[in-house]
Amino acid sequence: MSTSCGNPTVEKDALMPRRRKFDRTKTCIKCKDNQGNVTIRHAVYCKECFFPMLNQKFKRSLEPTINPIPDGPRKKNLYPPGNLLIAFSGGLGSTVLLDLVHKGYVASRKPREDADAAVRKKDPKNEMVWKEVHVCYVEVCGAFPAMRDRTEDVRRVVESYDGFKFVPLRVEDSFDTKWWESVGGKPDKGELRVDITNEDLILLPSSNATSPLSALHTYLSSLPAPTAIPTTLQTLTRLLLLHTARATSSSHFLFGTCLTSLSVSLVSLVAQGGGFNIKEEVQEDWGGEGGRQAVRIVRPLKDIVMKECAMYAWWRGLEVVGQEVWPDARQGIGGITKDFIVGLEKDYPSTVSTITRTCAKLAPKETPAGICTLCNRPAQGHVQDWKTRISIRSLSPSLASPQQPSLAPYLCYMCHTTLTSKSSKKPSSGSSSAGGEEGNEVPLPLWVGARVRRMEREEMRDKVKEFLLDKEEEEEGYAEPI
Amino acid sequence: MPRLCALCSTQRPILKRPKTGQQICKDCFFYVFETEVHNTILEAKLFQPGDRVAIGASGGKDSTVLAHVMKTLNDRYDYGLELFLLSIDEGITGYRDDSLETVKQNQKEYNLPLKILSYNEFYGWTMDSIVEEVGRRNNCTFCGVFRRQALDRGAAMLGVDHIVTGHNADDVAETVLMNIMRGDIARLGRCTAICTQGEDTIKRSKPFKYTYEKEIVMYAYFKRLTYFSTECIYSPDAYRGHARSFLKMLEAARPSAIIDIIYSGEACEVGEEATKELKERKTCKRCGYIASNDLCKACTLLEGLERGMGNAGITDRGRKQLEASGPTPDGLRTIPFFQMNASTPTDATSSVTTSGQGSGARISPVVDVSAG
Ligand code: SF4
Ligand SMILES: [Zn+2]
Ligand SMILES: [Zn+2]
Ligand SMILES: [Zn+2]
Ligand SMILES: [Zn+2]
Repeated sequence: MSTSCGNPTVEKDALMPRRRKFDRTKTCIKCKDNQGNVTIRHAVYCKECFFPMLNQKFKRSLEPTINPIPDGPRKKNLYPPGNLLIAFSGGLGSTVLLDLVHKGYVASRKPREDADAAVRKKDPKNEMVWKEVHVCYVEVCGAFPAMRDRTEDVRRVVESYDGFKFVPLRVEDSFDTKWWESVGGKPDKGELRVDITNEDLILLPSSNATSPLSALHTYLSSLPAPTAIPTTLQTLTRLLLLHTARATSSSHFLFGTCLTSLSVSLVSLVAQGGGFNIKEEVQEDWGGEGGRQAVRIVRPLKDIVMKECAMYAWWRGLEVVGQEVWPDARQGIGGITKDFIVGLEKDYPSTVSTITRTCAKLAPKETPAGICTLCNRPAQGHVQDWKTRISIRSLSPSLASPQQPSLAPYLCYMCHTTLTSKSSKKPSSGSSSAGGEEGNEVPLPLWVGARVRRMEREEMRDKVKEFLLDKEEEEEGYAEPI
Repeated sequence: MPRLCALCSTQRPILKRPKTGQQICKDCFFYVFETEVHNTILEAKLFQPGDRVAIGASGGKDSTVLAHVMKTLNDRYDYGLELFLLSIDEGITGYRDDSLETVKQNQKEYNLPLKILSYNEFYGWTMDSIVEEVGRRNNCTFCGVFRRQALDRGAAMLGVDHIVTGHNADDVAETVLMNIMRGDIARLGRCTAICTQGEDTIKRSKPFKYTYEKEIVMYAYFKRLTYFSTECIYSPDAYRGHARSFLKMLEAARPSAIIDIIYSGEACEVGEEATKELKERKTCKRCGYIASNDLCKACTLLEGLERGMGNAGITDRGRKQLEASGPTPDGLRTIPFFQMNASTPTDATSSVTTSGQGSGARISPVVDVSAG
């Protein structure tokens, strides 16, 4: 830098907006009548006004996303093209989400009629918006030795509401062909293993099968850094849920991410090299390739801060049964980020909303080169080229022969980094370590193999396409769920 | 069997590379360190043969190592650059006066021409006197704005095409984080860019953009380079400190975090909608430097100082107060008019001296408006 002081040229105000004085008027800002019960970002609300205010924020972020094509300012009837899936972790946010969805769209509504959405003129208020509402829980206790299975606690909460269908899953299902088939996948030939000791991530055909749980253990224990574990579990959970959404014909898939958690996950995404996916972290449409119905992921609590969720749960007497923090999660990038942001928010209360507002203005610089096979998000290409230019790790050009199939080209930067970036604690094995030994082979989640095979076939077909007589070639066994 | 260097597999490793965690030997460390900078320069096509390039030199570790590496690479790869050292004297007693001694020593070691410009000479104020006037709260804002403009003007005096600064990967990553957390949209895109060039400012770039701070210290240590490592007596900006400690925690958990953040910063840009909000660039009516209002930031800050309203250039409210308190009085000291490359010296090399008062200075020091 131009000085040793650490200050690059400062152009803007170097200070954050300062904490405003606590609002001492104790009457509710809405009804201006009742005594206030809670202060939300400098505004005082009474208990009666708090619920409609929160409900309005919830609907304002959810409803514009429901119709496939937004209606513009004038609100029309809500016609989602499919069912609804709610991701439920048992944590505070998703507990509040479940209650809000039930109150707003399920309770005291008639089952939805099948008439073609376009010709219906009736007031949708009497009918359920989505025909079916599924609530899916992914149990992660298989990843941690001493963790309690909470599936039954969660089931109790979900089943205390009428109109929800409960779908319990386990994170190890990612490696379970039974689950993969249940969501419509064809597992034969799709399974692959990867040699994780090498940056190229050489692919190997699947050897003898292991149980899903031991596959999960092998996968997690092969990760190069403890920080990779929470990130990996998040990705596995997300993909399990997405495939469930498709299998339940859901067009909408809701997460209970509140403003506070959203800003944490945005910063943590940036810290892990996922800046290209900032948009998707807020809202994304998944799996719409090949003319299929896309699943839209929405975070309708994104304008509600954690404190509002806590007040809502408390006043409504909701039971929070989930484990908020995974063991060791604090050492993860997400955990470090959370500690930092929550601490910062105490001194600078506008931090979380500033983060989400800034991120909303950002757009990816390039058009995506493809979809990452692991996290299924849009990805930029040439991750490895960039990395070898920035950090030289070998004096000779890449050792991997181009003939060897490798996973690296099919991954986004963040997933490639999660699988290869070492922690400073684990001793580096260096380039001298022999790859491909037994024990280095790691099973891959089933959707990865299916997609890699499909992409390999496409690339092969691209090379030989001039010589193919049939336009449509039979694709057997590599298919992803339709 | 003793472990061998992860790169050459022949020598004994003597260090663990902060960036990759690999255990490597000294020669390989020098090689990868320098080659990565070379890659950065090539990839961004930073220079043309014959370019006159000023190295922003503060005497600190980053710019000292930068000067060394720029000279090394220029010789090794025949860049064909004419290199200069350009230093800014902020006027901070006990800090800058000492670090400038280091710069002068570097000048002798590398045999590069040196130009020193002082805030006092340009603005009529030193950081010491600014702090006396405005206190310790916004001093870094003044300092940053004044430095940027002084560097550009210094470069124009030297007739250089390009300023390289020692900003390293840690600085860039920290700035990305801070801009996201502060909502500073305008700067987010620019801070990861290797090279920024406004309409009529001089090209600036950061060849150390992907170089870890820890490796810069390591390089200086093994090359036995002398640098000045004392902190500025008026630092730091508390908020920036926060972001730095966060970055250090991330790096401790996973060393690639710094590079990962930069990758994130490079992957996105300010969306079209937000770009419209950004003000278009104008030219300062008083001094000719780029500005987003009628007056550039430096002129606003300077007028505030001169009129005893230090806040004028800091907050919008301060600026309004300044405007409300009447027109600019006569006799106010202002910054000399800036003309980009108006007078490229024909033989700047010989005219530049170490004193900062050399004949190469085509822009006279602070002018007194009332005298005219
Ligand atoms: S710490 Fe502030 S006052 Fe000191 S040199 Fe840096 S910017 Fe200037
Ligand atoms: Zn009220
Ligand atoms: Zn990915
Ligand atoms: Zn070596
Ligand atoms: Zn000006």
